[in-house]
Amino acid sequence: MSIDIGTGSTSSTLAGATGLVGQADGARLWRGALGTAAFLVIWWVAASFQPTYLLPSPVEVAGAFVTELTAAALIQFPFGEGTIAATRLPVKLLQSLYHYVPGLAIGSVLGIGLGVGMGWFAWLDDALTPVTRVLRPIPPLAWIAFAIVWIGIGHGGATFIVAIGAFWINFYTASAGVEGVPREYTEVAASLGVQDDLAMIRKVILPSAAPEIMTGIRTSIGQCWMIVVAAELFGAPGLGYEIINAAQNLQLEVSVVYMLVISLVFLASDAVFRRIEGRVLAWRV
Amino acid sequence: MAGVDEPTVALSNVEKTFETADGTVQALSEVSFAVESGEFVCVLGPSGCGKTTLFRIIAGLETPTGGRVAVDGTPVSGPGMDRGMVFQEYGLFPWRTVTGNVEFGLEQRDMQPEERRRVAAEMIDLVGLDGFEEAYPAELSGGMKQRVGIARALAVDPEILLMDEPFASVDAQTRLMLHEELLRIWRETGKTICFVTHDVAEAVTLADRVVVLTGSPGRVRSVVDPDLDRPRDRTDEGFNECRDRIRSLIQ
Repeated sequence: MSIDIGTGSTSSTLAGATGLVGQADGARLWRGALGTAAFLVIWWVAASFQPTYLLPSPVEVAGAFVTELTAAALIQFPFGEGTIAATRLPVKLLQSLYHYVPGLAIGSVLGIGLGVGMGWFAWLDDALTPVTRVLRPIPPLAWIAFAIVWIGIGHGGATFIVAIGAFWINFYTASAGVEGVPREYTEVAASLGVQDDLAMIRKVILPSAAPEIMTGIRTSIGQCWMIVVAAELFGAPGLGYEIINAAQNLQLEVSVVYMLVISLVFLASDAVFRRIEGRVLAWRV
Repeated sequence: MAGVDEPTVALSNVEKTFETADGTVQALSEVSFAVESGEFVCVLGPSGCGKTTLFRIIAGLETPTGGRVAVDGTPVSGPGMDRGMVFQEYGLFPWRTVTGNVEFGLEQRDMQPEERRRVAAEMIDLVGLDGFEEAYPAELSGGMKQRVGIARALAVDPEILLMDEPFASVDAQTRLMLHEELLRIWRETGKTICFVTHDVAEAVTLADRVVVLTGSPGRVRSVVDPDLDRPRDRTDEGFNECRDRIRSLIQ
């Protein structure tokens, strides 16, 4: 590998690279379309030699998708009475969101809170490091025992499990972010009149650690979907429960529909959060 | 408190030792000097002579293990708004615009937002960054970043400007320009400046007096008064003579 420091040839290399990128964009689209088509064809051919209950074909999955999207179902709220008429797919999605959203929110807030606290206050870090070291490697799903005993395995229990998953991810990234705040920032702030810890955290620590904190939230947005599915395998209603339930009824095409729904919801939420992240961290230029 | 003849910064017999894994290291030994109000003093020394430690002690970021440091007759007990700090690596808040950085210190006071804006605009104008008010630090060159650093420190109207090798990270041409700018700002504001550097020519260009440190441990070798008319010319005979005199002190 050679390093080119000549300005003239560097610009020509750059121009060449830009040309390559432009070319690659078109080529990538084509290759992507081709790969997807090949995958669908192989799937379809393989499925045509198997009964649906072992491997549903893409066409059967598409049919099941339409059925799930149109079959009537009722939205039931976790609290209070009353129902709203809807169809099956959005009802299942809403059921998962009932524990995904609060679990993600509660776990993230508490995780960021403790991570920032331990990152900033040395005494708190000293006091809690042994406990957090031991508890952190425990997979969120292992806490199902307490979820069952304390709350029961419904929305509450699943929320609890999801919150634990979000908690550790955010705890870790937030404390690492705070520890990475350059000392000069806090020193300059102190010389400019920031005196108490709360003001320092609000005006310097949080904005400086924001990139890491945002990464933690984005990671948990993805990871919490994995946890949601796992928690629902124990019986909480939602997309994950539907995957298992349909498989037990030998309706694998319905299982695949809900597997794909999880993927689409994840892709959508990740895309939305990336835009938020881009706005919040616009200063990174 | 502050008497008529009280120097702005007074150090007497300042000592600093650090405990390391290899034992005790003495960074500063019997450092004594004073900076008068409105004076431009450079603390000059080779790397490792403890000059940054000295800067941090005056700033209140480190506690001396011996001796006394007083600002306006009051012993230093921590960082304060009477001493504005400017760092080599700028220490700008990257999430704030130029205006946001300059306003930072003003926000810690009871000040109306319009008044903050007005002071910040004045400071940005003083350092010659008009037109870059809404730029983020990542969009600025090294020299421009340090102008923001100076404007931010001056915004809260400190008595003293403490600068730790502020121009060591910018290219030579920009550095010469920033020297002129800093001297202009010093004339216009009448601040006391305590400027740490390892560059002999920089010290001779800027300072009323040069405190020459030698390592290790860091001691005051001598205090040199360049006694040259401003603006100082680096090709001038007196300039070269002074520079050579200081160089021979360091070696």
